[in-house]
Parts: sequence; C-alpha cells; structure tokens
Amino acid sequence: MADFIKNPVVPLPDRSPEPAFSEEELVFTEEEKVQIANYVKQYPTPDGAVMRALWVAQEKFGYLPPEVIQLVAEEVGMPYAKAYGVATFYTQYYKQPVGKFVLDVCTCFSCQFCGGYDMLHYLEDKLGIHKGETTEDGLFTIQEVECLGACGSAPMLQVTNGPYVHNLTTAKLDHLINELKQGRMPPFVSVTLPQDEDEMGGNRRSDAEAVDMYQAPPLPQTVK
Amino acid sequence: MEATNGKTKAGDWRNYERVLLPPVKDLHRLEVYEDNGGYKALREVLTNPKWEPKVITDEVKASGLRGRGGAGFNTGLKWSFMPPVDPDVPRFLCCNGDESEPGTFKDRQLMEYNPHLVFEGILIANYAMSIKTCFLYIRGEFADWITHMERELARLYEKGYVGENIMGTGFSTDIVIHKGAGAYICGEETSLMESLEGKRAYPRIKPPFPAQKGVWGYPTTINNVETLACAPLIINRGADWYKNIGAEKHPGPVLYGISGHVNRPGVYEYPTGMLITDLLNEVCGGMRGGKKLKALVPGGSSVPVLRADMIDGVTMDAESLREAGSMMGTAGMLFMDEDTDMVSFLRRVTHFYHHESCGQCTPCREGTGWLENLVTRIDEGEGNLRDLDLLLQLCDQMEGRTVCALADAAAWPVRNTINRFRDEFEAKCKPAVFATGGTEAVAVEA
Repeated sequence: MADFIKNPVVPLPDRSPEPAFSEEELVFTEEEKVQIANYVKQYPTPDGAVMRALWVAQEKFGYLPPEVIQLVAEEVGMPYAKAYGVATFYTQYYKQPVGKFVLDVCTCFSCQFCGGYDMLHYLEDKLGIHKGETTEDGLFTIQEVECLGACGSAPMLQVTNGPYVHNLTTAKLDHLINELKQGRMPPFVSVTLPQDEDEMGGNRRSDAEAVDMYQAPPLPQTVK
Repeated sequence: MEATNGKTKAGDWRNYERVLLPPVKDLHRLEVYEDNGGYKALREVLTNPKWEPKVITDEVKASGLRGRGGAGFNTGLKWSFMPPVDPDVPRFLCCNGDESEPGTFKDRQLMEYNPHLVFEGILIANYAMSIKTCFLYIRGEFADWITHMERELARLYEKGYVGENIMGTGFSTDIVIHKGAGAYICGEETSLMESLEGKRAYPRIKPPFPAQKGVWGYPTTINNVETLACAPLIINRGADWYKNIGAEKHPGPVLYGISGHVNRPGVYEYPTGMLITDLLNEVCGGMRGGKKLKALVPGGSSVPVLRADMIDGVTMDAESLREAGSMMGTAGMLFMDEDTDMVSFLRRVTHFYHHESCGQCTPCREGTGWLENLVTRIDEGEGNLRDLDLLLQLCDQMEGRTVCALADAAAWPVRNTINRFRDEFEAKCKPAVFATGGTEAVAVEA
C-alpha cells in the first residue's frame, strides 16, 4: 500500500472505525419519512429536497456523521456522494458533534464595530473555551460566524440555528447563559423599526413574544 | 454632483408615506393585510382582462423598478427575457431571500412585518410570466422567519390564494419555501439555482442566462424579495406613480438598512435619491457621541467604501453613487466614526470573502486567502510597504477572471479601501528600509 494512504497528509474524510450511531438508532420515524417525502414532492427531482432532509436529520441526530448522510441520501433517493457534497458545503450543517447549545456570535463588520469581538471574547472567558470548541459538560459550543443579517441591532448572536439575541451586552450574555443552563431557549424577538416607534409608538406585532429596539452601539470605554 | 439647493431627488421625504412597510398594526396577518387593500392587485390582474401577462411586464418595465438585490437591473426587462410560453416546458420563479451581504438586513424585516406583500408580488410575477412554481429561497439562519413565512403561506393555501384555481380564475401556481443552510454564495443567482437542485452551490457560467436555462435547465427568473414586493404597489397605483418616487433613473421606495456608529440605526423606508447627509444627520440622528464620520459603506460589504469628504451632495441612487465612486448595492449602509481602524475593517472584510468563497475558481479560492493573509499581516504590524501594491496587483488578477462576481466583490473593497485610506495602511506597515546594497529594494512614496 502506498505510504500516503497509511499516513495521509490531509486526513481522509471522517471514516471513524466506530459508527456514531447504532443500526437501531439509524432510522427515521414514520412521521419524519412522511415529512421528507413531502419535501421530495415539492421539487422536480428528488435531489432538491436533500437540504431539507439534512435539516430533519440534524434536528434528530444533532449532527451529520457520514452514516447519517447515507441515511438521508437513501431516504431522498440520491447518491451518497452527492448528499455528502451538499452536507459539507454549507456551514450550518454540523459535521462534528457540537454542544447542546451552539452560540453563533456574529463578528462581521457591523458587529465588529459595535463590539462583536468583545462579546465573543467575553463568552470565551466566561465558558473557558475558545471559539470552535465545546465545553466539557457538552452544553455550549462557541462559533464565530459571518453576517447573520441583523446589523442594525449589533452585536448579536444566534442560538443553535434558531432564535437571535440582539443588542448584546455582557449582562445580557450572563442572563442568556443562565437561562440556557436551565434549558430555556430565548424567545423570538421582534426588533422595532425606528419609523414604527415614531409613527406607531412601538412594535407593530401584537403577537411578538419579546420586543427589542435598534440601538446605538455604546461608546467604547477603553481604546485598545 | 447634483445641485442640492434645498430640493433633493427624494422630494418631500419628511412627509413620505411608507408603502412597503405601512404603519398598520399586525399587518403580517392575512385578515389585516386584506383589510388594508391586500391581494387587491392580485385579484385585479387575475380578473380584469386588461391585465394580460405582457401588459403587467410592460407596466413593471415602465415603472423603472430596478432590482433591490444589489445589481440594480431593470426588473420588467428581466421578466421580458423569459421565452414564449411552451406548455410542455415548465418555468420557474426564484425569489431570493438569501440575504447574507454584510450590512444588509432589510429583507428579514420585510418578511417579518409584511410577508403578504412579498407573497402577492410573487403571485403577480408568476402570473405575468405564466409560471407555475416559485421557489422562495430563504437563508437557513432565518429559521424563525422561515417558520413565520410557512405559517402565512399555509393560510394562503387554505384561503385558495395559492395553489389550484386561484380565486376561481383558473390560474394555478405554487410557492415552495426552500431553506438554505448558510452559504453567502447562494445569494448569487446561478449558485442559488444549483443549491435548489440539491447540489453544492457552485455558480454557473453565463450565458446561458437563467431565462434560457435556469433551474433544472428550464426558463427561470430570479428576483430579490424587496423587488417582488414592489410589484403589487405598481399594479395598484400605476407605473407613473412609482416612477415619480425618488431619483429619476432609479425610482421607488427603498428599505435602507443603516448600521454602525449612528444614534438611531435600523431599517428605514424612504424614496431613492436620499442625500446621504440627510440620512445620517436627520434620519439617524447623527453619529453616536457627537463623533465625526470617517467612512461609509453605502450598499453592503462588496461596494467601495466612501470617505467622509466624498459624500457631499451624493444621493442614494445608482447614478449619483457611481459618480461618487461607489455603488448602490443593497442599500445596507454602514457608518464608521473617526475612531475606526480601516485596516482592521478591511481585515474583517477579506476574512469574510475568504470564508465565503465557494472554491470553484482558483483566482477567487486562492486570491481571497492571499488578500486576507496580507491584510492580516499589515494589521498586525508585520506588513511591508510593498504589500500594498501586491494587494492591488492581486485584485487585478482576481477581477473578472472567475465564474461569478464574488472575486470582484472581494477585490473592490480591497482596492478602494487601500486607495482611499492609503496613509493608514502605510502607517501600519513596518518602517521603510532604504536599500543599501541588499537584495530587497523598497519603494518609498513621497
């Protein structure tokens, strides 16, 4: 055998000797199968539904090891290699196990100039891990992510591909971590438009679970 | 520059009445939307024989509506590129809600506060181009907004506004919400199509253009969320009304997403052609803490950055911004105050493009990495003066040499930030060493 196969310079795609899930675990429930079949019907070819199916699988298994991608490919009816290609292209599909809560801190330029990196570093200090790492208790993973499309309420973060938390401060982060430790996800927050504030006296959605406002970023206390 | 003696292109913007996000409580609910004239435009085009599909396209063309996704192409013209209807060949509309350009956050608010305007726009566009299916592509990070849109869409199906035989007129069309999974490149139209087909989102070479060969090889039109939301307004109030809002060559209402060091950031709806100084000082209440403006990104991270001394009399429309040396982009404006470090700004921007390059074309895959490495080196004080020219050379090697415009989008901010703030970059480089017989001669600029 050629030497580079035994000792690859670049690690070969994760072929773990121990499968992450047993065969009994590696099944979709009837409900999930119907869900995926419905997605497949929406597209001219089954391949189109692979992204939705991968989402279903990630919700169920937590992340997408090769055997889960294989399962998805079989369910959708497409080659495994193609499904693997899709799963590895998009950043929101986790290829490695992650913590129960993934804190995606945005640091793209609007957040950068409004304190995004301060928030990221505060979180890193607080949880004792670096970005890209998971806490030992398996609760939190911190990621630095690109623009999440909430630049006016910067700095902000997203919890596990779900709710946004706007206008971060260190106090808000402390509160968020405490809530998450007790298993409570933050609610969906509706951010009030400045013009609505003037013309309608506040948020326009009466069903909003929580309301926030676009805020001017605080002036930096110390100039680094 | 335009003459600005008391009159702006935006007209009487202080008394501007919002149309994309009118001040109506709970407008996101179907009943409220209908009570406020919602789906009137759809009913009108479906029932009034005057509105043949071609007439709608002509009306949109006459309105001068230009795409709000960044490129600013005439929407009606784009629609007219669709080939004649062939009953055997399916055709598709893609509504681009993959809003990932840094500094842009308007579509999210539109989907949150006025989702039915988007749906109505989609339905009108589908009718105008005789399309049976629209894919509404929303980025995966907007999971909450996807849930909201799905809920509202389910109501539309119940009510018979989407699906078979809409409003009993015999016209049938479907809307499918596609959830992305985090890739900036999917905002590029051909890449979005690849993503829909269940592939890695590598952009395609144009031509063939999507109108000839789009998703699954069938004729396709791709429009931004905000663009399609303008369609019902044009039908209801006429192309002339629309044409007279804002700047002459780039008319209509625009959602300005304003972020950065201003007192009141947020999404604002105003006509095009707003003076940047008006937006900053009167709409957003000036810079925070009374600081001075240093630089401005007028339309998302890809467009060239403007220095504070370059914005006098410049208005927010394609023509004026082009004269000023920038672009309208997505109208996601980032204001930076005097304390901002432009080198670290560029470092973050190049990091973004390196991270988001899809890896298909070598100049972009490698070039964005080189840009980031060089700018990082300068930012950390380890750069040489010649790195600045090397960066500009790299930009030359990237622009126009790739399948899609991501390489250009990565190169423009580098080129313009260096050209417009060169002194700051030079100040961060290692001091110039005059060649004294060594192998390295370093050019020192006067």
